[in-house]
Amino acid sequence: MTAQSSRRWLVVACVCALAALALMTWQIFDPTVWPVMVAMSLGQVLGTASFGAFGYVVLSDFRAQRRAAKGSSLPQTSSLPETK
Amino acid sequence: MTLLASPLSVVELACAALSAIVLVGYLVFRPPLVRGAKIALLFGLGVFPIGAAFSGNVQGFEATKERAFCGSCHVMALHAADSDDRASGSLASRHARNAMFGSENCYVCHANYGMFGTVLTKAGGLRHVWLYLTEYRNTPLDEDKKEIRLIDPGMMNGNCMECHSTEDALWLKVPSHFATVDDTRAGRLGCASAGCHGLAHPFWIPEPGPKP
Repeated sequence: MTAQSSRRWLVVACVCALAALALMTWQIFDPTVWPVMVAMSLGQVLGTASFGAFGYVVLSDFRAQRRAAKGSSLPQTSSLPETK
Repeated sequence: MTLLASPLSVVELACAALSAIVLVGYLVFRPPLVRGAKIALLFGLGVFPIGAAFSGNVQGFEATKERAFCGSCHVMALHAADSDDRASGSLASRHARNAMFGSENCYVCHANYGMFGTVLTKAGGLRHVWLYLTEYRNTPLDEDKKEIRLIDPGMMNGNCMECHSTEDALWLKVPSHFATVDDTRAGRLGCASAGCHGLAHPFWIPEPGPKP
């Protein structure tokens, strides 16, 4: 995963999480059937997906860093993408 | 609004606000994914939203017990309005005026009792939502009044007996109670029937006859 794609994933995760938070707080102000149902279904799905995307990015970054550390100990440098 | 009624709402709002600050900050500044940014995002995408979801879910489940929630589908509007009517003599309204039932009188009387009562009630509620979406969403209220009925009227006596045990000597002194106690306990004769304590709701349609 390149730095650009991990950044894109995180932007999507942040937007999804903001949408999830909006759906989850909507039920406080309007505790009727649809807001509560949407908060407990779509809100939860979006929130979980955003956290999953964050976990994926962090894990990919961690693996890339490990690979880079291993590669730097070899005589030839690898062509790892930028992970910063 | 239940904002001030429940501390859970305040917790949910606080978690959501903190999370939103972190997320908007990330979207605006787009910092590189160094350790500090990862920790901030862990809170913004994980810890705070989980806190908001947990408190929101508990708050949501509590909200589903409220009469206002039940009455927010148009097919239940008359039932909710009757319970809200302090001058009404229906069983539902009389129980709504009792502090033990109050604004949760729909849930207290209609929830399944027993160990898994809450889970069964919530599952039944999802069935109600499905039926509403597929059958009753656009039907006029006059039609709904004639069609909507209890799926298991026998269960209702069990709910009545949670408070009115049918064991008390005073209760058994009433001749009609004494004569029908076995049928009442077995759910063959409804407490809330025309010949006994009257219909729970003025719009409720009883079963055609006692079950064998």
